Amino acid sequence: MDLKTEVLIIGGGATGAGIARDLALRGIPCLLVERGDFTSGASGRNQGLLHSGARYAVNDPEAARECISENRILRRIAPHCIEDTGGLFVSLPEDGPEYRASFIRACEAAGIDTRPLTPHEALLLEPRLNPELIGAVQVPDGAIDPFTLVMENARDAESRGARFLLHTEVTDLLRSGSRVTGVRAKDRITGEEFAIAAAWVVNATGAWANHILGLAGLKIGIALSKGSMLITNTRLSERVINRCRPPASGDIIVPNDTVSLLGTTSLRSEDLERYEVTPEEVSLLVTELSRMIPAIRGERFTRAYAGVRPLVQAEGAYDDREISRGFALIDHESRDGMAGLITITGGKLITYRLMAEKAVDFICERMDLRVPCLTRVQPLPGAGMGRGLQDRLLWLRRQTPASRGEIICDCELVPRENVDAILKEGKVRELQDILHRTRLAKGTCQGGFCVYRLLGVLNELHKNEGDAGSNRILRDFLEERWKGIRPVLWGTSLKEEELIESIYKGLFNLTPDEPPAPAGGTR
Amino acid sequence: MKNWDLIVIGMGLAGLTAARTAVEMGAKVLVVGRGIGSLALFGNTIDVLGTVPPATDLAGGVTNWIAAHPDHPYARMGWKGIEASLRAFCELFPAPYAFAPDGEGNSLVPTGAGTLRPTYLLPATMVAGARITAKETLIVGFKGFKDFQGDTVSLHLQCRGVTLPLPRYGLEGLTALALARLMDGVPFRERLGEAIRRQTAGESRIGLPAILGIKDPAGAMRTLEEVTGARVFEIPMLPPSIPGMRIFHRFRGLLIAKGATFLLGNPVTGAEVRQNRCEGITLQNPPLERVCRAENYILASGRFLGGGLVSDMDRISEPIFGLPVLQPASRGDWFGERFFEAQAHPIHRAGLLTDRGLRPVDAGGRVLLKNVRAAGSILANHQAIEEHSREGIDIATGFHAAREALLS
Repeated sequence: MDLKTEVLIIGGGATGAGIARDLALRGIPCLLVERGDFTSGASGRNQGLLHSGARYAVNDPEAARECISENRILRRIAPHCIEDTGGLFVSLPEDGPEYRASFIRACEAAGIDTRPLTPHEALLLEPRLNPELIGAVQVPDGAIDPFTLVMENARDAESRGARFLLHTEVTDLLRSGSRVTGVRAKDRITGEEFAIAAAWVVNATGAWANHILGLAGLKIGIALSKGSMLITNTRLSERVINRCRPPASGDIIVPNDTVSLLGTTSLRSEDLERYEVTPEEVSLLVTELSRMIPAIRGERFTRAYAGVRPLVQAEGAYDDREISRGFALIDHESRDGMAGLITITGGKLITYRLMAEKAVDFICERMDLRVPCLTRVQPLPGAGMGRGLQDRLLWLRRQTPASRGEIICDCELVPRENVDAILKEGKVRELQDILHRTRLAKGTCQGGFCVYRLLGVLNELHKNEGDAGSNRILRDFLEERWKGIRPVLWGTSLKEEELIESIYKGLFNLTPDEPPAPAGGTR
Repeated sequence: MKNWDLIVIGMGLAGLTAARTAVEMGAKVLVVGRGIGSLALFGNTIDVLGTVPPATDLAGGVTNWIAAHPDHPYARMGWKGIEASLRAFCELFPAPYAFAPDGEGNSLVPTGAGTLRPTYLLPATMVAGARITAKETLIVGFKGFKDFQGDTVSLHLQCRGVTLPLPRYGLEGLTALALARLMDGVPFRERLGEAIRRQTAGESRIGLPAILGIKDPAGAMRTLEEVTGARVFEIPMLPPSIPGMRIFHRFRGLLIAKGATFLLGNPVTGAEVRQNRCEGITLQNPPLERVCRAENYILASGRFLGGGLVSDMDRISEPIFGLPVLQPASRGDWFGERFFEAQAHPIHRAGLLTDRGLRPVDAGGRVLLKNVRAAGSILANHQAIEEHSREGIDIATGFHAAREALLS
């Protein structure tokens, strides 16, 4: 099976999916290749922040301006992915009033609306804030659901002719002289290898950019910065809460439906396959963030996770927080004499659309095509619909216990029919694919109960014969789940852990030494 | 004023065993519990020591284990003591719903994940599940009952499975408790038996989720066996556990009949300690707090799930008496890197250290409280989950603690 396309995109994060949609809207054929599933990199491992840009206003005005402009565009084209929470920058006594003053000036210069609040006003809005605060500034931050955002970009692109190959890894860049003419790719589930010919190859692999470039002996200057985050079991605030001080670890709390996401750390990282959250990072986040909301100390955490930011390296910068959060579009023809290949990396989730626009503009210019970019104005297909949580709750309200059918996940109220519908589409190939497309395993028990049920559904539909006798899929899931919960096991979450271990290791007697099953995922 | 001879804190299998042992010795007993403990979650069969290979001599296996693990709770009473406590447990369950080993030593029973688990005492409703073969076995699940996935069990056991609808009940989103209550009614059993019979294709053993009623499981099994003509067995599944509730109800009925005071739902919030003796415990009964006093106390409050041990970000502690807890040096050492490790996670060995009479001691071995004994999973130096020893430890230490308290 050899394939051919006009533009080949490597990477199924927000940038790659955004580029696919942008190309599709301009009528240019494209094919996207992703090593795992959509959002398996940093696009699925971030804080879900709809940046106002205020965080960068002081240090990086250029990035701040990009953020606020994209913030306004996303509110128009993706309203169903956004919760307009608003945000606060909170000053504590140790932060002093000086930073706050320069922060407000910098926001004004970048075009970000601010409204200073007295401590009393701030506490009326957010009663759980530390009452010692000396002031707060309101900014247009919000919460965004990156999973829906990326899936919606992909869905729209696909309906306009774009094609996707998931679980497909690029193993080589095909070259003819000084021109890249396509890639060799390998299906990671079937093992099948094939070539894809393309006029343009776009490297949109984020932190993995140099992995792809290395295939052609190229390298660009990016720093990899690990950011760790924690998820609480309840929602701590109505608004995004930032610390009004120079960027540092543990300075932001983002609400997300019924929970809050606490972040972040910034540590240099080299290993892209293993980046775990350490107990020290967890302690640091809890200590720092409980200065803003003291109740955090007694809070139950459901999970910790980390993402790797690709930061475009500027000469002479030594602290990752001082490297620009802006993005880079690299034309490897002018830089390295390798035509037909561009890399787009760096940036933020919130600037994905702008990054896609710039990349596609560049390709169009080289192709001598004059087609305007439409993503700035064309809403995503689900734009008229409600947000996920709202929809789920409204749906439940209309149901009687008998009509609501089987709920697979009690924490997140996922009905079995959602899973059946996804399986019917026939596109998922692994358990994790189903988890990416639903709220399954994202609630309090982190899949401890619902994955057993989900596997039952798969077995009932005979999607799982390869697993017979081994329980490999269940064991792999529990191992993957472990990475997220191990760092936050104390207090109440320790009870949950004892329950889950008692079920799977005790009652079900799953042990580490079972024979490995033959390779291959869920069919 | 001391109203009781013995106060038992905790209503899991350890606390219940201690209370029952004491009551039968003629003591006046108060049992207090925040909840009904792990029985309602995992109680099914009685595991004693799953590391002893099936169909071998358990007495010898446990004795060897104790020799190799001198700190293990079993070392406090040895096989003789364990055996006596298990015999007493079995006496509580006369036929037809009796507990007994299946043949020599441990046997393997199927689980809700389609795996086999080693265990020692089986209730009558699980006996036919031991030593099944794929060819003769049919697994029956129920449509809409999500906590038992019959297709998963049959896939892994590589036998035939069916998922039956229960059309007359509109039971989408069914719970184990609802099913068990239905099974307590005879007409439902007969209809279900008939529905199963129509699905059989010559199988001689039929496995069902463990929901064969709370009041009369043996009767439910008999009806199903009569209608289907096959032997029927229950399969342990995701919590809650109906067989565990049966054990709880049996103990509760007996304790109340024998005059014990039974207070469920009242957490113990503190203890009065004077000169190495507990003088009373504080019971929360909102809006009141009440102090209860006895000659002796047994602490069977469980681990983290039961609230017997609590932790913050830095350390593990015992909240009622503030007893020292044996534990790893820091939070980073509590758990291994992988979920499935060759050894149990170090935190599972944490717990209370005791003397031979199960009285809590400090690191130097000095008895801290002369009239308090610890029993059940709160003890240190066992790995009940991996060893498959949960119920055995509960029964043996509960029995031993009560006897030590009243006889010494």
